Amino acid sequence: MLAAHLDPLAASLFSLLAVGSLLLSFVMLGSRWLRHYLYAFAAQSWLIALLSAAVGFYGNYSELYIVAILTAAFRGLLLPYLLLRIIRRLKISREVHVILQASSSLVIGAFAVIFALAVSYHIGTALDLAGTVAVLALTVMLSMKLIGFQMLAVRHEAISQILGLLVLENGVFLGAQILVPGMPLLIEIVILFDLLVVVACFGVLVRYLLTHVGTTSSLELKRLVG
Amino acid sequence: MTVRDVILQVAQVLTTLLLAPLLQGVILQFEERVQRGQGPGVFQPYRDLWKLFHKQIVVPDTASWLYWAAPIVAFTTTLTVPILIPVLTNFPLPLSDMGDILGGGLILTLGSFMITLAGLETRSAYGGIGSSRAVMVTILAEPTLILVFVGITLLAKAMLPFVVNHLLVAEPSVYWGPTHLFLVAAFFVLLLVETDRLPIHSNTHIEIYMIDEARILEYSGPMLAVLKWASMMKQFILYTIFSNVLLFPWGLSYRGTPLGVAGSIVALLTKFLVVACVVVVVDTIQSRLRFYRYQEPLAASFLLAILAIVGTQLS
Repeated sequence: MLAAHLDPLAASLFSLLAVGSLLLSFVMLGSRWLRHYLYAFAAQSWLIALLSAAVGFYGNYSELYIVAILTAAFRGLLLPYLLLRIIRRLKISREVHVILQASSSLVIGAFAVIFALAVSYHIGTALDLAGTVAVLALTVMLSMKLIGFQMLAVRHEAISQILGLLVLENGVFLGAQILVPGMPLLIEIVILFDLLVVVACFGVLVRYLLTHVGTTSSLELKRLVG
Repeated sequence: MTVRDVILQVAQVLTTLLLAPLLQGVILQFEERVQRGQGPGVFQPYRDLWKLFHKQIVVPDTASWLYWAAPIVAFTTTLTVPILIPVLTNFPLPLSDMGDILGGGLILTLGSFMITLAGLETRSAYGGIGSSRAVMVTILAEPTLILVFVGITLLAKAMLPFVVNHLLVAEPSVYWGPTHLFLVAAFFVLLLVETDRLPIHSNTHIEIYMIDEARILEYSGPMLAVLKWASMMKQFILYTIFSNVLLFPWGLSYRGTPLGVAGSIVALLTKFLVVACVVVVVDTIQSRLRFYRYQEPLAASFLLAILAIVGTQLS
């Protein structure tokens, strides 16, 4: 396993990139403007692309460079561009009725991170990996998943929900880059295209919602039809 | 324990005492210049203190012994803390092991607590408002402060500022690691909050916006000078901890020779200049937050401290 024996500077770099992307998911959690979520998501994807390249460099996995380029191009440019088009069409620039205030959701997110910390600490001790980048990657992965879930739960604008889903997926991808860097290239490409399909379907769904319901907020979707 | 070490320890306290108004003056002057004003000059705080020390004391009728004790205690606490932290030397001096980071925090909070009591004690309306606001800000800032301390402890496996300093100098991988960088960011927010800067504290002197100043509105003359000096020294101490322990652990005297100490004073001034410039930029581009949004920068800082703790899993 690459993460178990790295030189300290590389480990610092990996963990800085991982914790940086965790920080960006908190930026998404704390801001109210949809456009800021999107920029934070794009920046997070670029960080993850950098991380892939760094793992490829330090672990001598040449195919990870391709993964890095694909990540930057798809998650960092194409998906944000598509979502930006949807946002422009929506004429909604922020969450109007917030369920949780920004600072409260930040603190709840922080507690989610503490929970992830405890879980991965136990896993790390059980697997004899304590004190390596692997444990940290596990923490970041788990906490990004929890934050993604939290964004899905407390936000009700459709755009925020898809971004929550994408954050969740970014978390899994980040964890995979550090924990199992030798993952076949084909799987990565499949995941990227999956995401593309998700966003495309979502665009169609938003149009449908706008024409039939008149809103994209899930607060309005209370009546059962059918 | 040698005579030299005792002299060095006294020199640390004197440095804090004498250079604290200069730091305040530099920040205020730079702010004026950035905002295209003329500015009163970097030595204005010294002139203010001189003026106040030559004025008469007016005591409210409602004042008791607490009114007199509070400035003295506040000033004494700020004179005590420089003994515990690396101001000039990077090796512990005779009395430096009296307290660790938590001890220093406790002593500083004691001074702030006495001023809060004094603000309540004279029964003026503004003193009460100021005290209640100051306590609320403290309540919001305290969890972050404790988490920053926990982060430092997990990072260096010790709570002594000297150990943290040595570790950061010796290991570049720790210095550039996420734990340290996020601790710096979290501590910077705390620094802004604790030294009366925007986004929480207003920089206009109107009673409505005052937080810390409203507590000392009833003081005049030399007592006011002592309180102002104490708050400038508190700012100096926090800047020292921020730059000498966390941000720039280099440039301290290794052997304690006079030349080294002089060099470390120059280095200290340079570091403070850098930090002060950043603070001036923040003060200029930030607007004051509304009262009900005070928790937002502190929640962000709390979060940064948590991320720092996540980063400590590495070591």
